[in-house]
Amino acid sequence: MKLVRNVIAYLVGAALVVYGALLFRGMVRDVPHTKAFGSVFIANGWVIVLGSMAAVAVVLLLGSLGYTALANRASGRERSPWPLFRQAVTHVALWVLIVITYYPVIQVVGASFDPRNNLFSFRQVKSSNLLVKAKVLPDLAGASLENYAKLVEGVIVPAWQWVLLVVLGVLLAIALSLAVARRLDPGAHSLERWQNRTLLAFAVLLFTGLALISPGQFTGITTESHFVLWVRNTLLLSGATGLLAVLLTATAGYAFARFKFPGRYGMLMGFVFIQMFPGFLALIAIYYLLSSLDLLNTFFGLLLAYSGGVISFGTWVFKGYVESLSPSLEEAAMIDGASRWGSFVRVLLPLAAPMFVFIFLLQFVGTYSEFILASLVLTGVKSWTVGIGLYNFTTGSFSTRWGVFAAASVIGSLPILATFYGFQRYFVSGYTAGAVKE
Amino acid sequence: MQRHPPGFRGLALALALLTAAVGLSVVLGMLLFWLIQSRIPELPAYYLLATISVALLPLLLLFRRRFPFLADWYYLLPATLFLLAFTVYPIVLTMGLAFTNFSGQNYGRPDRATETAVTYQAPATLQFASDPVKALSCDQSCVGRQVEVYQGNDRSRLKIVAESADSLTLNRAPSFEPNPERGQLYVARINNFRFIGLGNFTFILSSASTALWPVFRWNVIFAAGSVIMTALLGLLLGVVLNDSKLRFRNFYRTALIISWALPNIITIQMWNALLNQQFGAINRLLGLLGVYSIPWLTQTEWAKLGILLVNLWLGFPFMMTATLGALSTIPNELYESAQIDGASPWQAFRGITLPLLRTAFTPILLTSFAFNFNNFNLIYLLLPQGGPAVPGGLPTANSTDILISWAYKTAFRSEGGSAYGLGSAIALIIFVVTVGISVFNFRITGAFKEERR
Repeated sequence: MKLVRNVIAYLVGAALVVYGALLFRGMVRDVPHTKAFGSVFIANGWVIVLGSMAAVAVVLLLGSLGYTALANRASGRERSPWPLFRQAVTHVALWVLIVITYYPVIQVVGASFDPRNNLFSFRQVKSSNLLVKAKVLPDLAGASLENYAKLVEGVIVPAWQWVLLVVLGVLLAIALSLAVARRLDPGAHSLERWQNRTLLAFAVLLFTGLALISPGQFTGITTESHFVLWVRNTLLLSGATGLLAVLLTATAGYAFARFKFPGRYGMLMGFVFIQMFPGFLALIAIYYLLSSLDLLNTFFGLLLAYSGGVISFGTWVFKGYVESLSPSLEEAAMIDGASRWGSFVRVLLPLAAPMFVFIFLLQFVGTYSEFILASLVLTGVKSWTVGIGLYNFTTGSFSTRWGVFAAASVIGSLPILATFYGFQRYFVSGYTAGAVKE
Repeated sequence: MQRHPPGFRGLALALALLTAAVGLSVVLGMLLFWLIQSRIPELPAYYLLATISVALLPLLLLFRRRFPFLADWYYLLPATLFLLAFTVYPIVLTMGLAFTNFSGQNYGRPDRATETAVTYQAPATLQFASDPVKALSCDQSCVGRQVEVYQGNDRSRLKIVAESADSLTLNRAPSFEPNPERGQLYVARINNFRFIGLGNFTFILSSASTALWPVFRWNVIFAAGSVIMTALLGLLLGVVLNDSKLRFRNFYRTALIISWALPNIITIQMWNALLNQQFGAINRLLGLLGVYSIPWLTQTEWAKLGILLVNLWLGFPFMMTATLGALSTIPNELYESAQIDGASPWQAFRGITLPLLRTAFTPILLTSFAFNFNNFNLIYLLLPQGGPAVPGGLPTANSTDILISWAYKTAFRSEGGSAYGLGSAIALIIFVVTVGISVFNFRITGAFKEERR
C-alpha cells in the first residue's frame, strides 16, 4: 500500500516537472529576440559562466585532494578528501546565492548615488570594466549625494532637533558598546539591565522627537522633499500600532490562558476567525465609520482601523506564552494577599517582557509595510506614509525618478533593517517558539 | 471572591451584564457629547469615543461591586470592544453590502446627471417641461423612487407616488416652501442602492469562465508554488547551515536573511523597476549570459514566473530560519548514536531529520499558504495593472490578479466602477476560502483540540 502511494506521488511529481519543463520551453521560444536597451549581450555567455563554475569545482577538487594527501603524509593518517571538498563547494554555492540575493540591493544602493539615472537611460557607460559597461554593476564614476539632497530639500531643522539627534546618537552608541561588552563578557547581567534601559530611553526619546516634528518644517515644493516627513509618519503609526497591540492583547491573552470561564472556547474561536475576513475589504464600512467620527485623514483614525487587525495574532501568541509559564508564582502572590490584577501586573507582566517585545516588533514591522488602508485613509502629501510616497514615484516615470526612488528606498529601509538585525533573536525565537510548540 | 455562575447560565448572565454596561455607557456618552456640543458646536465627532469611555469606567466599577465575578471578563473587554467596533461592525456592514448594488453610481446621493428644472404646484406636484421618466432616467416608471428637490441651499428628499406625461406627484410637500423668486427649483433622482439578493454572486458565476475560475486557479498555483519553492530552498539552506562543521555558518545565516529584514513595501516596488523589460537590471544581467530581454511583467507566463521568483527571494529566509529553529531542537546525541549504529549521513537525515521537520513544518506550510493566498502587497505593488488582460475577461481580473486584488480593483479602482457591492461579494468568497484553509490547518495540527478540554 505504502509502495503504491509512493509510486503515485513520484509519478505525479514527475508529471508536474515534465509539464513545467514543456511550459518553460514554450515560454523561452516565445521570447522575442531583442536585447535590452544599451545592454551588453554576450551570445552563449551562460556557457562561459557554467564552464568557469565547473573549472572552479575542478580546482577545488584538485586542491582538496592535494591538501589531504599532504596532510595524510605529514600525520600518517588515512583521511578522506571528500569532506573538505564538500565544504569548499558548499562555501562557493553559498557565496553564489549571496551574490544573487544581494544583486538587487546593490543595484538600488548604487542607483541612489547616481544622479544621472544610468540604469534607466540610453546613455552608454564608458568603462573598461565589462560589468560596469553592461550596467550590471553601478557606475560610481559620477557618484554624488544629489538624490539624497532632493529628499531633504527645503527641510528646516531647528537647533533643539540637532541636539536631540546628537543625544540619540550618543544613546545608540552606548547601547551598541554595551552590546559589544556583553559579547566579550557574557556573565555580566548588570550590563544587560543597563543596555535595556539605554534602549528604552532611546526609543522614548526617539518617538517623542518624532511626534514633535511638525509638517511646517517641510517647505520644499517637490513631492519627494517630504520624504523625511513620510518616514516620521510611518514610524509614529507603526510604533503606536505596536503599542496598541501590546496593550489590547496582554489582558485578553492572559484571560484566555488562566481563566476557565464558560464560553471561553467560543470566544477564542471568535477572536481567531473574525480576523480571517480580508480586513481591508471592509474598508467601505471602515471609511464610513471614520468619516462619521471626523477621523478621515488622521493618524488616530488609521490607528483605530488597524486596531482590529492586531488583536487576533497577539492574543493567540500571548496566550500560548502565558500557558507555558507555571501559574505557581501568581498563586503564591495571591496567597500573600495580592489581588488577581495585582499578581498580573507585578508578577506576570515583568516575566512576559520578551513576548511584548516580540508582539510589538511584529506589529511595528508589519504596519510599516501596510499599504491599502493607509493609501485610502490618508490623503494629501503631508500625511503620506513611506509606502504611499514610493508608490507615487513608481506610478510616475522611472526614467526621471529612479535615482530618487532608490535613495528613498535606502533611507526608508534603514529603520526596519536596524530593528530587524538589532532584535533578530526576538524574531527568530518568537517564530521558532511558535513553530516548536505547535 | 464570588465564584462565577457555572455553565450556560453564567455565560448568558455575564454577556447580558457586559452588554448592559456598554450599551448604557454608549447612551450616557452620547448625552454627554451632545451636552458639550451644545456649548462648543465645532467639537469633532471623535470626542464621542472619549465621552463613552468616561461613562464606561465608573459603570464598570459599579457593576463589579455588585457582581464580583465580572472582573474576569474585564480582562477581555478592551480587545473585544475594539474588535466589535472596528472589525465586526465593518464586516457585518460589508456582508450586507454584498447583497446590494452599492457602487460609485448607487450610493444614496442625488445623481447630478438627472438634474432637471421644474416648477412647483401645491400641494405636492412637480411640473416638467418634458417626459419626467426620461428626464430622471428612471427605468420604466418613476413611481416609488426617491428624489431630491432643491432650491438654493434648501433641499428635501421625497418619494414619488404618481406620475403623468409631464408631472410627478410627491408623497408630501417639500420641507421648505418653494418660492420662484429665490431661483430655479431643481429635482434630481437619488441613486439609492438596493437589495439585489444573490445578484452579485450570479454575476460572478456567470462570468466565472473568464474571471472567477482563472483567477482562482492562478491564486492557488501562486500560493502553492510560492510555498513549495520557498520551503524547498529554505529547507536545503537550513539543513546545510545546521551542520556544525561548516565554518562561518552564523555569518551566512545573518547575511542570507536580508530580504526578510527589508520592508516588503519597498522591496516589491524595487523589483517592479528591476524587472523592467528594457531597462531592468535583471535583463541586463541576463544579457551578459546571452539571454534575450525577457518580457517580465508584460507577458502572462513570464509575469507569473516573475511573481513566483520575487516571492522566492522574499520568502526563503523565513523558511530557512524556521528550519534552523526546528533542527535546533534535535539533540546532537541522536545523530551520534545513529553514527555509532552504522547509519550513513543520508540514512540519519531520512530517519531523524525528515520526520521531525514534517511535524514542525506542517503548520508553517499551511500558515504560509494562507498568507500567500491573500498576499495583496506582492501582487498589487509588483504589477498594479495585474498583468496582461484576459481575452474577453473583466478589466478588473487580469492574468496575474488573485482574488483579493480582483476584489480590491472592483471596489476601489476606476476600471471596476467602484462596485463596492460586487467587491464585497468577492470578499465574502475569499473569507469562505480562507476559513476553509484555516479549519483544515487547525484540524491537521490539532491546535484547537487541546483548547477544547
